[in-house]
Amino acid sequence: MRKSYVTNNIKLNEFDALIRITVEMSKYLYPYIREILKSKEDVEENSVIWNDFNKRFIELIKERFNLDSIRVKKLLNQTENDEIIIKSLLILSFCISNQGYQKLKNFLFDF
Amino acid sequence: MQNKLSFNQSLVSLEIIGLPDYSNNENKDQISIISQWKLTIVDKPLIEGKIEHLWPIMNAFYIYSNLLIKNEIPIYESKLIDIKAENLYIHNIVLKSSKPNVKPLILKIGNSLLSDTLNCFDQLNESPKVKIKKTDVPNNISKKIRFGLISKNKFLNFIMPPFIAIFSLILFSSTFIYFYNPVDDKEKNELINQE
Repeated sequence: MRKSYVTNNIKLNEFDALIRITVEMSKYLYPYIREILKSKEDVEENSVIWNDFNKRFIELIKERFNLDSIRVKKLLNQTENDEIIIKSLLILSFCISNQGYQKLKNFLFDF
Repeated sequence: MQNKLSFNQSLVSLEIIGLPDYSNNENKDQISIISQWKLTIVDKPLIEGKIEHLWPIMNAFYIYSNLLIKNEIPIYESKLIDIKAENLYIHNIVLKSSKPNVKPLILKIGNSLLSDTLNCFDQLNESPKVKIKKTDVPNNISKKIRFGLISKNKFLNFIMPPFIAIFSLILFSSTFIYFYNPVDDKEKNELINQE
């Protein structure tokens, strides 16, 4: 999915390290993640937060992902990407505890 | 004097009141015998219940959150609590009282409050100061979802081996057909007959 000409398979220890970094970042960013989730609950009041986040999300996808991929196209489609974004944010917000590393790993294997 | 412990996450707070089990040589600040619990969600009615209801309610939230991520329409139903998704952002919780003639408590919470609640439960689970008796909760996931979760794998396990067997048989027999030449076979038979 990434814009890269080298196809390297991720090693297990690199995968573990990425999960640990993600969990630590989610702990730190939980208030922001929460606000983004909340903004979608009452769109009329907080639509600015959701729109800003969605705009930046799409910008980053366009910058770093392979736009020819069908899965990436799905991420860019605003009518379809709501569910993917909400579920991803929910997964991050559920994994901020001390056992977050194991929880995130389980979620990723089941996703 | 009872011990009181609070677990807070943004707009949700979980309070546990109880005593240590001195017969088990526990510290003064430990809680093993829970006498009361309260779940406070800002702008929502207070949730409290019997001691034996705490774990089933926590378990319901955990199962529901898992279903929410894996399924499109997550539903959790039990004698004590029902949780259903109204849409991707709002969840309806129905807390049923065990006492007769008491109306169920209906709550609507969004994803932000759901994750706050789960994080409070996580804090409680990970706290070394509280021991909860994790009783077995009967599996009340609705049949529709259970079918989706289990039968997909079972069906594949059932259908795949004979399918692979038949496919490999066809593949092998078709290669033999390719090598087999009926004209050669006829000529051979004729030669044998002439001899």
